[in-house]
Amino acid sequence: MSKTKITIAVTGLNNTDNPGPGVPVIRSLKDSEEFDIRIIGLVYETLEPGIYMEGLCDKIFQIPYPSTGSDELIDRIEEIHRRDPIDVLIPNFDAELFSFMKNEERLLRSGIHTFLPTIKQFQERDKDKLPEYGEKYGISVPASLNLGSQNQISEIKDKFKYPVMVKGKFYDAYMAYNSEQVKQAFNKISSKWGLPVIIQEFVKGTEVNVIALGDGQGNTIAAVPMRKQYITDKGKAWGGITLSDDKMLEITRNLIRQTKWKGGMELELIKTVKGEYYLIEINPRIPAWVYLAVGAGQNIPEALVKLALGQEVAPMESYAFGKMFVRYSYDIIVDLEKFETIAMNGEI
Amino acid sequence: MKITDEVRISDNGFVFNSKTGDSFNVNPTGLELTKLIAQGQDFDTIKNMFLEKYELDDLTFEKDFYEFCALIKFHQITTTEDPLDFK
Repeated sequence: MSKTKITIAVTGLNNTDNPGPGVPVIRSLKDSEEFDIRIIGLVYETLEPGIYMEGLCDKIFQIPYPSTGSDELIDRIEEIHRRDPIDVLIPNFDAELFSFMKNEERLLRSGIHTFLPTIKQFQERDKDKLPEYGEKYGISVPASLNLGSQNQISEIKDKFKYPVMVKGKFYDAYMAYNSEQVKQAFNKISSKWGLPVIIQEFVKGTEVNVIALGDGQGNTIAAVPMRKQYITDKGKAWGGITLSDDKMLEITRNLIRQTKWKGGMELELIKTVKGEYYLIEINPRIPAWVYLAVGAGQNIPEALVKLALGQEVAPMESYAFGKMFVRYSYDIIVDLEKFETIAMNGEI
Repeated sequence: MKITDEVRISDNGFVFNSKTGDSFNVNPTGLELTKLIAQGQDFDTIKNMFLEKYELDDLTFEKDFYEFCALIKFHQITTTEDPLDFK
């Protein structure tokens, strides 16, 4: 069977110790037996490792941060598209998703397909709205408090027992054992990610995650549960293993059915010793450990591309449990000319 | 007491629980015990087999057996309807 030629643009090539999902997404796409894929890497920074990885991207373009304005970002994407047509765009950062969701139709009119959650789906799972979300969809979530200012830190002791988790709206989470530590975490997080800073009840247990793909009609196209085996000091998985846990799959399928979730997602759950599950976060995109799901038998990025192109995708029901991933770091030697080209021309 | 369906036991003593992601190494005696429990052998049968095979008294076997059972139950390798059931 001849493979269909297709060009896919991918962001998140920052394969650092806090990795973006771009590189594993590309790796998954390159495993596709149906598509002959050409990759356009979209980068914000000139030192994103994916730029320099041999054989990963066919072309790299630098794009402006969404904080400079959605229009500038989309204008740049359209300019790239005019020069090097993009069939499907897979954004991989939480912070850029809103701009792409908002401009989904504009992109489609230009011929760029995406498969993203709706703005409603994206906003209602915001960390600062998690209690309402849990109540609406019948999932246990830890109690939380949104801090709009440091003055509210004194309220914590009336509502929670220490330790508590202190979280940013988009990223970052710290455990705090007293109000002084909350204050430090509040300052770090608010300066980087803005307000509110979220205080979440600490639920003791094991952190487990599910990567999933919803078709936007309520069907779960893919779902693979995983437990982090080795966690970095940034809380990122450096090793993980697929689990055979029907309850986690049931929670995922129920949620996707009720929300009609469209696109990739990651559910972060805490499993207590009593076997109860608490939802602590939903990442509205493919997570960086996606290649584990591919290794276990579910190529989620490939299925997402098919959905973006309007193709029918049958739900993937099985996967191998007990499959592991272990990350590693690797030094790439780079000629200055390559760095100079991306830094000066914004493309390579 | 029953070894849960999600547990895999390798001949070299590697025990993996695919529901929790935990893995353990058991020594040859632990492996023998785990396999007998997995086969559904009851306490008396296992005790008699061990007493016959090893230089061991009743009391030491019972103490070590229950301790082992409590440990594997704690790690969700086994399930019991009745928490006091070690049969």
